[in-house]
Order: sequence, then structure tokens, then C-alpha cells
Amino acid sequence: MTTAAHSRQKAPVVRISAEAVPKQAFADLLNGVRLQALWTRLAFHDVRQWFRRSVLGPFWLTLSMGTMVATLGIVFSSLFQQDLAKTLPYIATGIIFWGLLTGCINEGATVFISAEAFIRNVPTPLNLHFYRMMARNVMIWGFNMAIYVVILIYFELLPGWNMLLFIPGFLLFLINVAWISLAAGVLSTRYRDIPQIIANLIQVVFFLTPIFWSPANLPTRPAFVTLNSFYHLIEIVRAPLLSVAPPWMSCVLCVGMAVAGLGFTAYLYRRAHSRIAYWV
Amino acid sequence: MAHISIENLTVEFAIFGANSRSLKNQLLSQATGGRVMSGIRDVVTVRAIDGLNLEINDGDRVGLIGHNGSGKTTLLRVIAGIYKPSGGALTIEGRVGALLDPTSGMDAESTGIQNIYLRGYMLGMSRREIASKLDEIADFAELGDFIELPMRTYSAGMFARLAFAVSTAAQKDILLIDEGIGAGDAGFRKKAQRRIESLFDRTPIVILASHSESLISEFCSRRVLMQHGLLQSAS
Repeated sequence: MTTAAHSRQKAPVVRISAEAVPKQAFADLLNGVRLQALWTRLAFHDVRQWFRRSVLGPFWLTLSMGTMVATLGIVFSSLFQQDLAKTLPYIATGIIFWGLLTGCINEGATVFISAEAFIRNVPTPLNLHFYRMMARNVMIWGFNMAIYVVILIYFELLPGWNMLLFIPGFLLFLINVAWISLAAGVLSTRYRDIPQIIANLIQVVFFLTPIFWSPANLPTRPAFVTLNSFYHLIEIVRAPLLSVAPPWMSCVLCVGMAVAGLGFTAYLYRRAHSRIAYWV
Repeated sequence: MAHISIENLTVEFAIFGANSRSLKNQLLSQATGGRVMSGIRDVVTVRAIDGLNLEINDGDRVGLIGHNGSGKTTLLRVIAGIYKPSGGALTIEGRVGALLDPTSGMDAESTGIQNIYLRGYMLGMSRREIASKLDEIADFAELGDFIELPMRTYSAGMFARLAFAVSTAAQKDILLIDEGIGAGDAGFRKKAQRRIESLFDRTPIVILASHSESLISEFCSRRVLMQHGLLQSAS
């Protein structure tokens, strides 16, 4: 019997002291990772719950994103007089990853605020909520990727070796999205204007970033493209999926951003994690 | 052996009102040199627990009493690891289970069975542990076939019985209870009483925060009175 085995276990000893609180920030992050089974289950539950009792279920995500991709694809391929077989995969991958990026950041901003009741009443590592949010968004992304597969098949695009670069690219993409979202979550819990600021910024950046338009159509590359870190983030996952090696410049920038960003977020989390339960 | 040792524990937190929580105010106060908007950076700090010392041993049934806002729930949250101390330290031996809100984790759109899992996870139970107790919990909650239906179809009583049944199924060394637990009509209350007794019997340390004198005198062997974050008396 499991309960009997449990009670025979040696009881864990935990010491919580005021001085050691900042040091526990990283333990908290790691303990959250260890609960991977729990947050994936909860994330799965979230996705299923949204579409409960609907016939298509989570495939509504795929369908609505698919409609948007198709519409934008048709409009922009005729606007720029380009081949649909070239425009559609470009727009599809761009929008799918933009969706993942902004979904995580937007929801990241409110990840602690919306889990208030949980945080105050259930003793779990704080960032369980953060991992749950990330897992949920990656699951949604999975449903959206079906669009990409359909496009590949429909236009009979042959996958190339460069596609393998997608794997490290996606990891780098996720690391960057993770630190931005966690930083947004911590700052938003303290300053309640930040979620609004983020939501507004994201809308603007959507138009500044080459997602449904390509910088290849422009005679010169404007600064808001070359200096746009979101462009580089999208590029390291989009290019491999279009069987092109991502530009070196983007890879270097994204690695640099990941290192600097993780450092910044670690500093922030270390300072703030013990206060979040009071702030929510 | 379960044991809790609290040394000189202090918990303080800042209350951000409508004033100081927004970014604008912080930026403005920088820009105006804090002169025009003076006062907005004065964050009210509440000292919820002030230099508390307490030893709780294996077998103790502690009743936490005191007025609203005296720091009872805050103390439970600190022991649960939710609130971090701003001064002092505590050492906890044993696995802590918290029944601060007997329904947290539950979801109205999910079925009874799913809710047993959802609530169980929040109590720190593993999937296997929940599965092994599933039948017993469902039986106890007396939901019959409703257990397969979404929880929004339940009456308030059914919902309370289910939450109670899961919450009392977990096996921990230290149990923290806020405002008592219990559910349902007269017939169920007797059953619930026996279940709480058996839960208390197998749990080495129970800390119960309550306003109910009868509950405390019935279940608790020690009483700790708190007032304004200070330990007033402990027996």
C-alpha cells in the first residue's frame, strides 16, 4: 500500500530562513521543472477545457489560424504579385511562430496575477504556473503546425537538410521566449500597467516585424528590421522550415539575447520571487 | 518524527494601494523629484507576524486562535512555504499538506473524477496515489453517477462533499487547516466528523486556525492565541 510506504519514509527537513530566501529562487525554478508531469497534465487539461463540447475541439485553433494564413497568403501574394507557393509557407510559418511568441509573452505577463488563488492557497513552486503556461502554448503551437504540414504536402515542397536546423533554432527560440515571459510575469505582478503596455507593444511590433511581408521585397533593409530582435527570433525558426539556413547574424543575436536575457531574468527572479505571493 | 520549530519569525509585506502600484506614479515621482507627488512612494508596510517563537512537536494538535487579521492565516502560509519570512527562520520536519482553501484546483467544467485528480494534484498527491484512492473518495462523497458528470451540474452540497472527500484523503505529516473543514447536511456531518478524526489520528501534527471555540476544544490539545501578529499565549 502506497500510504504505508509513505509514512515509513524519512520525513524531509526544510529550513526556511529570511537570509536564505534569495538563494531559494533557483531551487524554486528547479523544483518547478521536476513537476513536469504535473504541469504538462494541467496544460493539457487547459487546452481540452477551452474546447469542451465543441465538435472540432482544439482543431478550432488550427482552423482559425488556417483561415487567417490562407487569407493573408492570397491577399499578399496578389498584392506583391508573387507565387502563392512561395508566399503561403512564409506567411504560415511566420504567423504560427508569432502566435507562439506573443501568446507566451501576453499570458506570461498575467501568469502570476491570474493564479492568485492558487499561489495563496496551494504550496507549490511558484513557477509551476509559468511552466504550465509555456506548456499550454507549445501544445497550441503543435496544433497550428498542422497547417504547415498541409501546406508542405499541398505545394509538394521537398524538405531539405536545412530543416534539421529547426531543432536547435526552436530550442533557442523557446529559451528566449521563456525569459521574456518570466520577466514580464514578475514585473507585471508588481506594476499592473505592464500587461497593458506589453499588449499594445506587441500589436505595433507585429506590423514592424517581417511576418506577413518579406524584407526581400524592400530595396534596402530598414533599421526596424535589422535591429528588430523579434525578426531574428522568428527567422531562426522560420528559415529552417522553409529549407533555408538561417542568417548567421540572427543566430548570433539570438544566442546573445538568450545569455543576456537569462542573466537578467535570473537576477529579477532572485530579487522578486519571494515577494510574488504578497504582490498577487 | 514531525516537528516544527519557529524562531523569531517576522513577516512583513508592503501594501500597494491604488497609489503606488502603477508604473506611472513611480516614474512621475522620479521626474518630480518626489516633491509634488510626495507621499506616493510611502508604501504602507504591514507586519503580519512579529518575532514569533513556537515549537510544535509530534502529536501536537494546535488550535490557532485570534481575531481577524491577527496573523493566523499568514502563519499557516509561512509554514506551508507560500509566504517567505522577512526575518527569523523556521525548520520543518515532515511533509506539509495545506487545506487553506478546500476547493482550490477544482474546475466546474470538469467531471467529478477529473476533479478528484485536479484537487489531488494540488494536495501534492501523485497520479498513482489518487488512482488508488479514487473509489474510496467517490464512495465517500455519495455522488453516485454524478461523479461522471461535469461539476457545474452539482448542487452546492454535492460540490462541498466532493471537495471535502478529496481534501481529507491526502496523507501528510503536517496538516494545516484554515477555518475548519466540514460539509453537508446533518447525516453527512457525522460521517465527515469520523473522517476528520481518522485523518487527525494518522497525521502527526495538525494546526487548525479557527474562530470556532467548540471546534478547537474538540480537536486540539494545544492553543495558541495570536494578537496583532504577536504570540499572546501558548499552552
